[in-house]
Amino acid sequence: MWQYTKKLQYPVNIKNPNPKYAQIIISQYGGPDGELGASMRYLTQRYSMPYAEVKGLLTDIGTEELAHLEMVCAMVYQLTKNLSEKEIVASGFDKYFVDHTAGVYPIAASGLPWRAEYIQAKGDIITDLHEDLAAEQKARTTYDNLLRLIDDPDVRDPLKFLRQREIVHYQRFGEALGITTDKLNSKNFYACNPSFDKNCGKK
Amino acid sequence: MSEQQKLRRTIHAYDFAIYEMVLYLDTHPLDKKALEKLRHYKLKRAAAIEQYEARFGPYVVTAKDAHNEQRWTWVDNPWPWENEANC
Repeated sequence: MWQYTKKLQYPVNIKNPNPKYAQIIISQYGGPDGELGASMRYLTQRYSMPYAEVKGLLTDIGTEELAHLEMVCAMVYQLTKNLSEKEIVASGFDKYFVDHTAGVYPIAASGLPWRAEYIQAKGDIITDLHEDLAAEQKARTTYDNLLRLIDDPDVRDPLKFLRQREIVHYQRFGEALGITTDKLNSKNFYACNPSFDKNCGKK
Repeated sequence: MSEQQKLRRTIHAYDFAIYEMVLYLDTHPLDKKALEKLRHYKLKRAAAIEQYEARFGPYVVTAKDAHNEQRWTWVDNPWPWENEANC
């Protein structure tokens, strides 16, 4: 189960609304490498994990990603507060507004709604951990791109925090992969799936 | 930033340090130094909360901490995504 903690992991306090920024930052909520996908990916992959450390790590990072999607949503919410009709049209926010008003809905910057195809649970620890390592780097690149386009320090500060977390998670997943390859015994040097393929391809 | 906000920030910083140790320990469960560091941050956090509560009343972050003698305070604004909760 989960218990809600009534605080953000890192503060978000944006004084100047900016619907242009909101439209690109929302990709880190519902986009292909966003926090919603990150959270769903790790929490979904846990079930077929053979090793205790990796079950723990996926649970804890998956939980932190929920806190990250809350931060990204807080940014989108604060960036789209008190907008006039004129500002909505001038910023190009009208295309989002017509379907969602100022509600926070999981879509990519391109407008594509969040899809389960962004994530995978392959049921093979080696495959899944490689996906996780790639996912952290893809999210880090997305934060880098956002930081290239955004000047407001109130917006940059939480984005920089989130970027750093991708790097820490990448490090931890790398260690999880190390634990995994250490545990594959010498009879399994082809890295057969230890949670399913007990005999490594032999009947 | 008020004294109350500063103290909340301190508690949140310890929360973050604890979380960071949790992730590290997930992949290094036998690391004695890291276990010691986790204990250290947990004590620091508890002391900061004690200091907070002595001056400003209950530190409420989960529904079960909410005081409820007169009314149910858990629902009180601000909620975390609002500016007022982050200044």
